[in-house]
Amino acid sequence: MMSSNSLLFSINNEGKVYALSTSGSCWREFMYLGLEFKTLSAVPHYLWAVGGDRQIYLHVHGLEIPIRVKEESYENERWLPLEGFSGRLLPTDRYHFSSQDGTKDRAIDRIRLPSMAWQWEGDWQLELTLDGQPLDHDGWTYAVDFPAQFGPSKQWKSCVRRRKWIRYRKFSAMNSWCAIAPLHKDPTQEPFIDVSIGGNQIPYASPGTLAVWAITAHGRVMYRSGVSTTSPEGLKWIYISIPPNCDIKQISVGPTGLVWALLWTGRAIIRKGITKDCPTGEAWMEVKSPNDTKLVSLSVGFNAIWAVSSDTRVWFRKGIDGNTAGISEGAAMGSGWLEITGHMSYISVGINDQVFAIGDTDKSIYWRSGITPAEQTGKRWRMVQANMQLSRTSSSASVVSSTSNAKHHSLNMLNETTTELKSNINLHNSWEESHSAPIEHTLPMKPKEARQKRNEQVDNIDYTGKSYETTLKNPRAWSPVRSVGSVVGMEAQPDSDSSVFDVDSGMFFDDEISQTAWGTCETTWAFVEAGACSVDVMQVPHWFTDSHNAFNMDLTSKWRIQILDYLKTRNNNVTLDLSTYGLAVEEKGWTRSCESRLINANHSSEDCILSLYWHDLENIGTLSVFQPDGTIKFILNLGEVTSVITSSEPGSPRITLSVPRQNKNPIKVQFISEMEQEEWFNVLVDITSQINGVIGKPSVNSVWAIASSGDILNWDPMPAKLNTANNGKYIKEFQVFGKDIVSGFTTPLHNYFPPGSTIKITGCLNDEINRFHINLEGPEIKKQRHKIETEVTEIPLHFNVRFEEKVVVCNSKINGSWGVEERHELPMSPGQEFCITIICDIKAFKILVNDKLYCFCEHRLSPKTITSVAVKGPLKLYSMEYSTTNAIIGSEEMYWRIMGGYLRRVESCQNGIVWGISHDHRVWVYTGGWGGGILKGIGSKEGIHSMTDTQTYCVYENQRWNPLSGYTSTGLPTDRYMWSDITGKHKRTREHTKLLNRHWHWISEWMIDYNTPGGVDADGWQYATDFPAPYHGKKIFTDCVRRRRWYRKAQIITEGPWIRAGSTALLDISIWANGDEASVWAITLAGDAIYRTGVTVAAPTGVHWEHVNNPQSLIAISTCNNIVWVVGRKGELYYREDITKDNPSGSNWKLIETPKFSHPYNHKTGAGAKAVSLTKTTAWVLLLNGAIAVRTDISRNQQDGKDWKHLTECDLTFKHVSAEENEVWAVTTEGVLQRRLGITADNVVGSAWQPILSSSLVHVTARGGCLQ
Amino acid sequence: MANDREVLREIWDGKLPICFQLAQEEIMEIQQPDAFYVMVPRLSYFPLVTDKMKRHFLRYISQENSDSEMWLDYNGQPLKWHYPIGFLYDLLCGNDPQLPWHLTVHFTKFPEDVLLHCNNKDVVEAHFMSTVKEADVLKHRGQVMSTMQKKDHNQLWLGLQNDKFDQFWAINRRLMESHGDNEGFKHIPIKLYSDDGTCSQRLVSPKNNDGSRKTLQQMVAELYPDKHDVQLRTHGVIIPSDTPLQWLSEHMSYPDNFLHLCVF
Repeated sequence: MMSSNSLLFSINNEGKVYALSTSGSCWREFMYLGLEFKTLSAVPHYLWAVGGDRQIYLHVHGLEIPIRVKEESYENERWLPLEGFSGRLLPTDRYHFSSQDGTKDRAIDRIRLPSMAWQWEGDWQLELTLDGQPLDHDGWTYAVDFPAQFGPSKQWKSCVRRRKWIRYRKFSAMNSWCAIAPLHKDPTQEPFIDVSIGGNQIPYASPGTLAVWAITAHGRVMYRSGVSTTSPEGLKWIYISIPPNCDIKQISVGPTGLVWALLWTGRAIIRKGITKDCPTGEAWMEVKSPNDTKLVSLSVGFNAIWAVSSDTRVWFRKGIDGNTAGISEGAAMGSGWLEITGHMSYISVGINDQVFAIGDTDKSIYWRSGITPAEQTGKRWRMVQANMQLSRTSSSASVVSSTSNAKHHSLNMLNETTTELKSNINLHNSWEESHSAPIEHTLPMKPKEARQKRNEQVDNIDYTGKSYETTLKNPRAWSPVRSVGSVVGMEAQPDSDSSVFDVDSGMFFDDEISQTAWGTCETTWAFVEAGACSVDVMQVPHWFTDSHNAFNMDLTSKWRIQILDYLKTRNNNVTLDLSTYGLAVEEKGWTRSCESRLINANHSSEDCILSLYWHDLENIGTLSVFQPDGTIKFILNLGEVTSVITSSEPGSPRITLSVPRQNKNPIKVQFISEMEQEEWFNVLVDITSQINGVIGKPSVNSVWAIASSGDILNWDPMPAKLNTANNGKYIKEFQVFGKDIVSGFTTPLHNYFPPGSTIKITGCLNDEINRFHINLEGPEIKKQRHKIETEVTEIPLHFNVRFEEKVVVCNSKINGSWGVEERHELPMSPGQEFCITIICDIKAFKILVNDKLYCFCEHRLSPKTITSVAVKGPLKLYSMEYSTTNAIIGSEEMYWRIMGGYLRRVESCQNGIVWGISHDHRVWVYTGGWGGGILKGIGSKEGIHSMTDTQTYCVYENQRWNPLSGYTSTGLPTDRYMWSDITGKHKRTREHTKLLNRHWHWISEWMIDYNTPGGVDADGWQYATDFPAPYHGKKIFTDCVRRRRWYRKAQIITEGPWIRAGSTALLDISIWANGDEASVWAITLAGDAIYRTGVTVAAPTGVHWEHVNNPQSLIAISTCNNIVWVVGRKGELYYREDITKDNPSGSNWKLIETPKFSHPYNHKTGAGAKAVSLTKTTAWVLLLNGAIAVRTDISRNQQDGKDWKHLTECDLTFKHVSAEENEVWAVTTEGVLQRRLGITADNVVGSAWQPILSSSLVHVTARGGCLQ
Repeated sequence: MANDREVLREIWDGKLPICFQLAQEEIMEIQQPDAFYVMVPRLSYFPLVTDKMKRHFLRYISQENSDSEMWLDYNGQPLKWHYPIGFLYDLLCGNDPQLPWHLTVHFTKFPEDVLLHCNNKDVVEAHFMSTVKEADVLKHRGQVMSTMQKKDHNQLWLGLQNDKFDQFWAINRRLMESHGDNEGFKHIPIKLYSDDGTCSQRLVSPKNNDGSRKTLQQMVAELYPDKHDVQLRTHGVIIPSDTPLQWLSEHMSYPDNFLHLCVF
């Protein structure tokens, strides 16, 4: 429901503001506050408007988490003899309170809130950790002298110390109209006539940059400095001079910052030279109007300008290029006007250059359909026909001013504060200063009081608006315009407002009037603003009655049901025995073949012919691979394929098949064309899914994984579980015929060998036999002695028949050493056939020889440590049958189904709620569907939505300095490529960077990255003394090389069974199921911890995010059993205290002792964590060096656990780990999916890793609890 | 877009029980041949489904006729092979359904004046493809067919021939898409037949002048202004009169992309 929720704003002829959501179908009226609006301008979440009082208002909305800004100040002290450390510093030293580099005075009593729209969150606090290590309680760090490395401990040479104070402030005027200070103390002196916001995509500008321009009634152009997503109200107005004789009536800022202004004479002027470094531009240029007509309205898009002339004709400006508009006059000015059909009175360009306009005669809103980058002018106008909420405040509805007048009261109160403010502003007499935000101490109200007052307002506001008079006698008299951040009206929940913008629920009203009439009453629109409106051309909103979106209604319409009913009962009244009738069309299998190339493990390739045979009635399929001469290379039974994933490289469309039973290495096939690859992929996924009986929604216990190709894989244990169940027993026959037993035969016993399990082995002994044994044993473990070797260290049952000693020895091996032997009589003789059955009981193994009870062996080790059975000796085996209490599914039987969609991370929980995160950090929730995108015709259309994802491609330009010509792209012969990847080892050029497949397209040009870590100079260069060295942004004398990063963004458009949840960008997410509810915790891109309210199985997307304050910026999170662990940016671990069902946000963050250990094999130390996965009793923590540490004994009372344990036996490094109870799955650095064996209550770290799937994976979640 | 899979599947799976009997005058053996019972897809064409039946009867006819072209009749009325089987049944037995459908098989006296010759399945394919093309011209000015590759055409035909729903619809879906601004087809490919088998083909738009979806009833009112109580049958069912034409065309066209409606 929130897949592409953006808003189209409009103003009707009464000055009321309405919003229409792209995922809804009804216009919602903004709460009427007695103030009409003249114009609006919006980018997503930020709406600027000129009110009826000709003042400027700001409305911030739709942000799921508050705007928070962290203020920092370093307190510096120097050690003085006698006094010790003191705040009295040397004259050459930095300020007592300073910025990190010491250059700025940051006295904390002078750090104030920028405006009344801000509040402090708590008081100043000390930061008590340094790089993840806790500091003493005063938080001091010590150094020899100031520009030096600070360490946590005081030494004899420590002469200075410093500590860091932090305090957060929050923008509290969310979801309310917030007045921007007027230019003069008398707001009527120079009112505004137009305002425009844009600049959210200025090339190279840092993220969050915005540009706001306005026009005053005196015709002056003003630029609002300092506006950004974290400072929505900006700092002050700056006057921009305009050419003489230019009287401006309208201004429009495009997303790239390009400014066009319209003169009263009907001509347009353009601001040239607007770049990230010069947001106000350099000079004005004039543009000719089309054919001597007068323009009356214009709007700037990314690569388009649209205008309307006074004769209501519509014009499109050709040749605009937003990316270069700041540096090229031609690109800013375009090349000519093009007339477009239609007669409009007003026009507005939105996201992706989509165009909305108001019809000249009918005053309806029209959308220009068919606008694509290839066809910028679109195809035709389509009328937006959305229902209206019948307004009680509108003059068309009968409105009676009734009893109470609560709102007047609140507004009166606003008036009071205004007058107070006025007197204070008078203190600062120069008007320039009053443009900047009034700072806290100039205000008579302390923030707390302001808060209270605001709360009162909230209480007092009558949401129904019933009591409101339609027009105020003198709007100016109460206009609260004198201070930045005066709040004109506010919603009930200012911080989290996703409920406020809920689709098609009462958006600005409470339940009481949700019965408000909805109707299709004719509205005449005066104004439309599309700047925040993102129309998905592929999935057009339900705004158009002339579209086939009406289809959904078709499904339930009477005629359709009637037809279906007729069709189903067509032959019913015929009493015929149809079984004697032959089928006219023989069901036969079908084949498909194509030429392709087989890619070998060593990257060489050979031509081959693929041939697929599929018989759907018999549910069998084979894939034959022929050599070009027609000889068979190999034939695969498609039933043995465990995964089909795409593994394309640019220009090489490929598919990888995993067939663990046949080949250790996956089979990689390259196709001639992308179309062919997609068709084969589609067919192979379809067939293998059918063979494995998996269709539709997988069970809640599924394991989900993400391949490096972005494919989403799902292994569902349920079908196999159901298929093999037999009275609660699961039986598996092992293939033993013809196996070499003499040198030892080992096969895995899945699910361990819990009580109730049986293994039955039949065979025949050789005539010449001395001894043989049957072991029920644990996994092979790597041991590092003088060299690395493997050994089975745990053997719970060793059954050794020794003919030469005429005895049977039963024993066990614990931790590498044998225990006490139990000796029994010999029950068999050489040359005989035999049958040995081992039954696991609660207390002992019961051993039957030739169906007679032979002996008992008491458990010395938990039988749950058993992972395989081994038989060794001179004998032949006939059969081996394993029967146990849970489904027996080996890794070669796990079929990984492609679910559709494109993601980077996925997270599941035990009640089937699954969330995903795409590469651009957007959040998706699984809908229960299957298919979409290139999986055409698979699954059903249900739950399939369009998906997009964005990735950034980077190349590095490297240069070396030489004494003659300075920096050039001629390097030394030993140097890296002059265009390379980040390592310098691989050549990467801009020209040769290709997109992966046809579903990707570029959404930007190659651009210099001015935000490269380490800092850059004005041209984006970073300098270093030599190539593999730390880079810095300022050139110094010793630098001999430099590099800069270029980036280009690409977008994939696909489909999948996923739907957007919220608009907050996330780094990590964790879900824990609690019955039908789930607690969802996440880390935002900015490093904040948040949790989602209202997530249930019925509503898996939940309601909205709640923000939790955190001291450090975080990178990873995990939750289980109301315990939350997080990982900080520096690798430190915290848990959240006091989380309960009633107090889901908890109280405090507590630091957890970090794991200290050095990895035995790769000798890297470094104990910082980078990810965590919590179970009820343990936390599996992935460390920065790729090792895994396990925290044991976690409980509600001891949420940080007791001990760290390490997986010492393995030399694998990992990139992800996911744990739930005794199931732990992980992905190694090489991309192999591994499952941890041997985890029991006694041995919480398990005993060994079992490789499951070796197709390059990036992520896994096993928190569905797979086999429990 | 034809995306009501349930309806599409139901139509695709429609089958008729047919009882084939060799015409008495053809039988050259003393033993009477058994009737041949078979379930035939309604959407298919007779030449595609009669191979087995033909082999069954060849033993009973004189050898000199074994190479001549087989044809079928119902109640003495020769059956035109170039119409879908289900349509033929609706046309001839729609008012008086009787199952199984008794058809007579002939190997001689080919009614040259009534039937087209059909020597092999290529002729059926050529006819089928040309009809699909004609329908596409009506729907999209022929743009979809002309952008399709030869192998797509093949898949369409093989899907029909081998009774593979998914294979057929993977391609046919593209033919059933509306182009431009999704307001439907340019014209609806439709053929209306009266009882006597005369066919009328008109240009029918899926929309009314005011842009709303045209229903069956509205079309009938336009085409037969003087008739009342007109009912239309296809796929063995009577179509509710308020069904939108665009939907009808997308979902209830025969594989040749035409709506074949029997008027009565």
